[in-house]
Amino acid sequence: MREQPGLPVPDPVAVISWVAPPPPAVTSEHLGGSAPEVVSLRTAAPAPPRVESRPSAVTPPRTVSIAIGRAGVRVRSFGFAGAASGTAPEWLEGAAEAEGVGAAPPRAERPLSGRRTRIAPPRDLVKLEDRLHYLLQPPLESLFAERALSFPYEPFPYQFEGIAFLYPRHAAVLADEMGLGKTMQAVTAIRLLMRRGEVRRVLLVCPKPLVTNWQREFALWAPEIPAMAVEGDRVRRQWQWALDDVPVRIANYEILHRDEELLLAGAGGAAPPPFDLVVLDEAQRIKNRASATARAACALARSRGWALTGTPVENSPEDLVGIFEFLSPGLLSPQMKPRKMGRTVSDYVLRRTKDTVLTDLPPKLFREAQLELTPEQRATYQLAEEEGVLRLAEMEQAATIQHVFELVLRLKQICNFDPATGASAKLERLQADLEEVVQSGRKAIVFSQYVRTLETLAANLGSFHPLMYHGKVRSAERDRVIGRFRGDPRCQVLLMSYGAGSVGLNLQFASYVFLFDRWWNPAVEDQAINRAHRIGAAGPVTVSRFVTLATIEERIDRVLEEKRELFATIFSDSRPQQRTGLSQEEIFGLFDLACPARAA
Amino acid sequence: MNAALGFLTVLEDSDQNLFGGYLLLSLAGRPLEFHCTTPIRPNRAQRILYGPTLEPFLFGELIGGTLYRKATTVPGVVCTDVFAAVCLREHVDVPVVLVLPSEEMEPSGDARPVPRSEGPSAAAAAVLRVDAPHAPRPPLVEFCWRANRLAVPARGGGERDLILEQLAGAEELLDLAEPFERIRQAIDEARGGGR
Repeated sequence: MREQPGLPVPDPVAVISWVAPPPPAVTSEHLGGSAPEVVSLRTAAPAPPRVESRPSAVTPPRTVSIAIGRAGVRVRSFGFAGAASGTAPEWLEGAAEAEGVGAAPPRAERPLSGRRTRIAPPRDLVKLEDRLHYLLQPPLESLFAERALSFPYEPFPYQFEGIAFLYPRHAAVLADEMGLGKTMQAVTAIRLLMRRGEVRRVLLVCPKPLVTNWQREFALWAPEIPAMAVEGDRVRRQWQWALDDVPVRIANYEILHRDEELLLAGAGGAAPPPFDLVVLDEAQRIKNRASATARAACALARSRGWALTGTPVENSPEDLVGIFEFLSPGLLSPQMKPRKMGRTVSDYVLRRTKDTVLTDLPPKLFREAQLELTPEQRATYQLAEEEGVLRLAEMEQAATIQHVFELVLRLKQICNFDPATGASAKLERLQADLEEVVQSGRKAIVFSQYVRTLETLAANLGSFHPLMYHGKVRSAERDRVIGRFRGDPRCQVLLMSYGAGSVGLNLQFASYVFLFDRWWNPAVEDQAINRAHRIGAAGPVTVSRFVTLATIEERIDRVLEEKRELFATIFSDSRPQQRTGLSQEEIFGLFDLACPARAA
Repeated sequence: MNAALGFLTVLEDSDQNLFGGYLLLSLAGRPLEFHCTTPIRPNRAQRILYGPTLEPFLFGELIGGTLYRKATTVPGVVCTDVFAAVCLREHVDVPVVLVLPSEEMEPSGDARPVPRSEGPSAAAAAVLRVDAPHAPRPPLVEFCWRANRLAVPARGGGERDLILEQLAGAEELLDLAEPFERIRQAIDEARGGGR
């Protein structure tokens, strides 16, 4: 407290006092360095003094008051009791109770102070009350416990984080690397939203081969929520779209496009109610904004949209623009620099890789099998390249990318097999490697982008009883093929095309992956590899990438590396900005050709 | 039994501003109401003249009492993690319980007195008075509710049973220390620091 200036000093009170007689004499004697001994002589108690008092005029002291003050406290208040959340549909509560699904494990076994995954509001949520609504929710683990939602397997901590990321978002991209369980995270987030009454009508769109996979995942992770596949002829689909009491519909992209009018106008001409949530699996399918599929997806009336993809950027940053046209139109533009694009979407995209979150996952071992072409292949290759390049050069301005692609295709096929003799350096190496795989009792997947190559391989690998899984294998047959590969100990080799087998399949029982030839896009290769290298893999997965030296494959390999750098630029702030995409110039540059002016 | 639990805490920032937060949860742990104060900073006169009674006054009576009265829901019990806020009990009609850190938790189910010799202002109290404000803290009676470690002043020990009764209907896994983390985040958000 500061000194109070001018504080008055009160007048002394007049007192007449008796003064005591002087004290008696004290004699002290010092004893050679030790503590002095004090000898005190006490006199007899003095007689009580005589006090004389007389009245005196006393001036009362002046008073200074200091107010302590009691400041008023201003309070900000927020109420949540009336929030829409918290009430599951009656059928859902009833189903859970009647069927006994989702019974929580014995509580005593669950640690109280264990993991706590908090839900954070997305950055685009502006209203403080809305943000607090999420911030003040209990940890995710408590929400599941409260709702008695159990899991067939204990989710990993990063999966809880993924669920907490999706749950509050109206626009989100879950871009986890393949094999980290995007499906499970999406299903569980949907389940939680549905159990809390925040969504009641969900549409899930995925590639056709994955429809049954999604149904299985719903049965596993959200058994109380029926998921209906929209399929069959138009009349049946029309009926399915019109049903009121279907919480989750699963449709493939082709049906989405085909039924666009039905979805917009409804069966009777009246617009159907909007979906509470539309989830696009393998959302790179809408990267081309001009495609009919992308238009159909963007036209869906919805209040929430999520995109699931391990490869949000396959070729160029424009891929991401396409996905965000569905999620948040106008947020991105094709003109944006990759780094700025990365910053803009940072709160919308959750991307984790196995390296960072699955330290317990067995390692993924890469072997670059750099092979010399056989003499027969080399002769054929040289001839084909010389002729092809010469033809392109002669075409000059008439040469198009299509012409270059045709040449690339021809050369790549020669790198696989010499068309005249069937000689193949890759086949020789593959046979040797597969001998080892088979003897060890393990299983291998061989990827190629050409069905013809797979057929040739099948003819040459008969002793390994290979199975085939590619675009020519009927959908109904595919599940049987996978079943045999999983269960039949004699079937240790699966020949698979990138197109048919790179997404959605769980083949973690395979220990070896062979990339017999290379895809244009590293993301597709990664997806292929991750069929085997995913949660549940019992041991390390060995990936052998076959590249023939001094060929178009080697040149493409360099381009693929650059694309990996592009991806890293958008989804990481720590990497330097690299070149973007595969330009027309670069494609012509594969053959040291100058790009014609704006060749189409 | 009231179908709500109150959680009161007070934060102090680096400028010695105090922020009170009061969260009302359903017995399942879901938020019902949240109230927080604007910054409060006792002036120098208050600091000197209230002396060691300042914190109980600020935390319990001024902040706690104001927040409690602002809420529309009456909880069965108010939990706090700030010792000085326990004296809110003198101003409200519901029991107030101190939630102790759980790291040394040894659930026993028994009530036992816990001598507390240091007060919140012990460091500042270089000169001790011998009257009540600088006396050792009143002993607490500690008890457990499920895996939570709780305490009430010994003189209020009789409320232990009432508190346990009010907590009986709460979600089994409810960790009574966890909501304070929510309050801290919410106050941070309300102050604009969360974004």
